[in-house]
Amino acid sequence: MASPQKQVQQLARQFFRLSLENGGLSPARVVGVLEYIEKHRPAHSLAILRAYHRLVAAEIARGRAVVEHAGVVPPAGLTAIAAAMTNKYRRPIASVARCNDALLAGLRVRVGDDVYESSVAGQLAALGAAV
Amino acid sequence: MSSVLEQIEQQIAKLSSKAVKKNTGNIRTIADGVAKIEGLSDVMYNEMVQFPGGAIGIALNLEDDEVGCVVLGDVSKLKEGDEVQTTGRLLSVPVGKALLGRTVDALGNPVDGRGPIAAQEFNPVEKIAPGIIVRRSVSQSLLTGIMAIDSMIPIGRGQRELIIGDRGTGKTTIAIDTIINQGRINKVGLASGDPNFRPVYSIYVAVGQKNSNIVRTIGALEAAGALEYTIIVAAPAADNPANQYLAPYSGAAMGEWFMQNGMDALIVYDDLSKHAVAYRQISLILKRPSGREAYPGDVFYLHSRLLERAARLEGRGSLTALPIIETLAGDVAAYIPTNVISITDGQIFLETDLFNQGIRPAVSVGLSVSRVGSAAQIKATKQVGGKLKGELAQFRELAAFAQFGSDLDARTKAQLDRGSRIVELFKQPQFNPLAIELQVAILFAMQKGYFDPIDVKKIVAASASMKEFFLGRKEALLAEVRTKAALDKDLEAKLQAACEEWKASSTG
Repeated sequence: MASPQKQVQQLARQFFRLSLENGGLSPARVVGVLEYIEKHRPAHSLAILRAYHRLVAAEIARGRAVVEHAGVVPPAGLTAIAAAMTNKYRRPIASVARCNDALLAGLRVRVGDDVYESSVAGQLAALGAAV
Repeated sequence: MSSVLEQIEQQIAKLSSKAVKKNTGNIRTIADGVAKIEGLSDVMYNEMVQFPGGAIGIALNLEDDEVGCVVLGDVSKLKEGDEVQTTGRLLSVPVGKALLGRTVDALGNPVDGRGPIAAQEFNPVEKIAPGIIVRRSVSQSLLTGIMAIDSMIPIGRGQRELIIGDRGTGKTTIAIDTIINQGRINKVGLASGDPNFRPVYSIYVAVGQKNSNIVRTIGALEAAGALEYTIIVAAPAADNPANQYLAPYSGAAMGEWFMQNGMDALIVYDDLSKHAVAYRQISLILKRPSGREAYPGDVFYLHSRLLERAARLEGRGSLTALPIIETLAGDVAAYIPTNVISITDGQIFLETDLFNQGIRPAVSVGLSVSRVGSAAQIKATKQVGGKLKGELAQFRELAAFAQFGSDLDARTKAQLDRGSRIVELFKQPQFNPLAIELQVAILFAMQKGYFDPIDVKKIVAASASMKEFFLGRKEALLAEVRTKAALDKDLEAKLQAACEEWKASSTG
């Protein structure tokens, strides 16, 4: 028999699979899962919800290109980034702009676990590590 | 001209604005030198990952939604939520002759306070062992300088010979003696200018040892002049288990460099019991399923993939491995000892009882074996010591039997007498390896019965006097034995004459 921690992970993954529709996350299904957990209160509900939250957050991050920028990014630039990422990952990706003055100049685009670094701060950090 | 400059500037601008892709994750939990990381979806098994603050880690557990990494370095500054990046590289350590004479940690960083190491090359820590085709059979001797071993349990270049025994039975001493002997042979060989001479470089990997012991070992090697041919890889008991787990592989990578570049190397893993314990600790923290004695299921593979890297290669060099295993109460049938016994090409078993009786090195003749056998011996040693192992084993059997009765026939008494003389003759002080030519001379004298008239209690002193005699007065004869490496009639006659001379001088 699997350990409680493993059972929590398995159940969370099962709920996550139930939340997908046509390969994408369905808000209606997520609501359904939450209602089910609320109603039936499985053992270790809190841990299950936390694990489920992580999986849903990771899935949302996979479908979103967070464009961090220092300065102004024109809407056309954001659209171009979204199109390029959609093309690269072969799934619909929307872009979200986020101002980050710590970058000094340039952009940093994050899609799920992948980070595309072209900011001055990133290059300085790489240079610092290489010296 | 300005257009050329513009072109270069454009090229620079293009390159500098090129986005760099990184795969990242975040620390979910960190404890006992192991971090669980969320993300890192592209990470490979055994890949190096970069933690903030310069610490690095190795991805060991790839799970559905998290990655288990061992952290090599300071974990005290890491916290939950910190970003971790993949590097796309396997862990590598510096290799080459620049490391000789230096003490490094498991990552190849110098820890001896003697400045940075000017290594030109780096090799991956984990590497697949050489295959069947590229290997050659073991046929060149690697002399330990310990008479009991060189004459009865010979070790060849490229062999894996286990040194096993309880704590405090002289396991490390045998390994250190062997390294010291390589240093002495290297000095003589390199000074002779012989183009066919192949020096043996040594790597001593200390896993889970006390720092004081490592310092003592370094001191002994330095005093004997062997440190300049030796690399010390130190992962002491105070080091984190990840470093203790990695140190033998780092040492193997350094040894392989010599082998791949046509040189011979010797590597001592001191010891693999502590290595297995460090790996068990990591595995348990990573929540891997545990098996016998709580070791993970792949503990055999842990040692087999390490020891398989020792080999003699066709057209290249060799890497000889001397792994050390510590037993508890002489139990060689425990899990880790049986694993390593089955992997290696023989073992030198050291007995506590023999050690306490003053028989040092406390080599148990019955339980020790070299599966390479006499193929790794020079002809002279075979000629004078070919039957020794059988004689000594027979002596031990008879000695045990003789305890029950005093009425023994003359033949048995003679066998017991001869056996006890051989045992005394094999006694050797630590850090004092004997040159092979001297071993041959002493064994020759023993075979010809020169020690027979001497009282058993005085054999050690007589043997010391003979060594002194040969070293002081018969240097040319020893050199002839060394160069010929076989005893012909002429050499036998010379040895016999020398023994007669020694006999006359010692009795007169």
